[in-house]
Amino acid sequence: MLLEIHNLHATVGDKEILKGIDLTIDKGEIHAVMGPNGAGKSTLGAVLTGRPGYEVTEGTILYNGKDLLAMAPEERAWAGLFLSFQYPIEIPGVTITAFMKAAVNAKRKANGLEEMKTSDFLRLMKEKMAFVQMKPEFAKREVNVGFSGGEKKRNEIFQMALLDPTLSILDETDSGLDVDALKIVADGVNALRSPEKSAIIVTHYHKLLEYVQPDYVHVLKAGRIVTTGGRELIDAIESKGFDQF
Amino acid sequence: MGHGHYIAPAKGQYQVAAGQVLELQFVVLPGESRDIEVTVDLCGPGAEAHLKGLYLCKADEKVNFRVVMHHKASGCHSTQLFNGIAGGSAEVNFDGTIVVAPDAQKTEAFQENHNIVLTETAKVNTKPQLEIYADDVKCSHGATVGQLNEDELFYMRSRGIPEAEARTLQMLSFLAPVIPEGREEEIERAVRSL
Repeated sequence: MLLEIHNLHATVGDKEILKGIDLTIDKGEIHAVMGPNGAGKSTLGAVLTGRPGYEVTEGTILYNGKDLLAMAPEERAWAGLFLSFQYPIEIPGVTITAFMKAAVNAKRKANGLEEMKTSDFLRLMKEKMAFVQMKPEFAKREVNVGFSGGEKKRNEIFQMALLDPTLSILDETDSGLDVDALKIVADGVNALRSPEKSAIIVTHYHKLLEYVQPDYVHVLKAGRIVTTGGRELIDAIESKGFDQF
Repeated sequence: MGHGHYIAPAKGQYQVAAGQVLELQFVVLPGESRDIEVTVDLCGPGAEAHLKGLYLCKADEKVNFRVVMHHKASGCHSTQLFNGIAGGSAEVNFDGTIVVAPDAQKTEAFQENHNIVLTETAKVNTKPQLEIYADDVKCSHGATVGQLNEDELFYMRSRGIPEAEARTLQMLSFLAPVIPEGREEEIERAVRSL
């Protein structure tokens, strides 16, 4: 098993948001987590990546058999975890090139590899930028500063493609995207599909799931997974909403 | 006074004549307490002064700046940018005054002082002041005291950048506008020592 979440409870401030999540993800699987606003979807992504301010009060998370909650955010990244942020953060003064070079080399170092040569890194970066149809001049732009909503999401998928994660979590990456941008996101996720890699797609919108076929669909409501099924759930949600669960 | 930044001594009085340009750069690195007092008089029409300062302090160091920018003639232009970081139980006092004399019409004077405090015990007091006696002027000053941005740090860490490296990157980007050319590596080492 790649990820085993057992009875996960988490609070933000004094408020309990996750109230006992059980979720198991095997290698090669894509899981969609759907649910209404406020269900705890983003909190799940935040807890998985170790965001400060989110406190786990009960339960366990094993990642490749290791205690994920004992790992620092950067250690989780080195182990192959990646979150595509719903609201990507701006980093004034740091270029995308500097940012991603530091990220790629830190991961390599942690995994016992040598730093990448600058020329090799730039070539790889160029290739991944072309893949998500990001203009080359973005390499020199400050991270997310002055980017449109769509450009920020594209930048997330670019980072995902470059870091080549084992478990990708896409937190509402599809929200606010037009169909063309949505296809780019979907291509990014589909390109990572392999028997070794998995993804969690968090969304309240079915459109992305037309392009990325999930193996399982979970409905998250009021901090719990209330039902799990296959693709037929997407159609049920599309026609009758979340109230039926 | 020629072009190019000049690393200024701690105490100085400068008179800038008509059409001349003064550029001063101040650098205070960890390991010393400093009192910096500088007065610039823009004496002739069209004189310019551009001041930049960078300071990094830790432990119980004390760094005091007292800067007076005196616009005495018309059409003069001054800019000031001072960015610094205080860690440990260091104390920074920044006292910056812009004076615009009654005859100094068409003055343009700008001053900014930005600070990051790394600990709860570090202290920064910043006091920008404007004394304007002319009416046709463009003047502004701004001062901020903040902390490293937690969201930015988490974003970087979530991509695998170790916390210490993420902090360094953020501090260097904050300092970038005031780092003198050719001293990037020295400043980076100093930032890592904070």
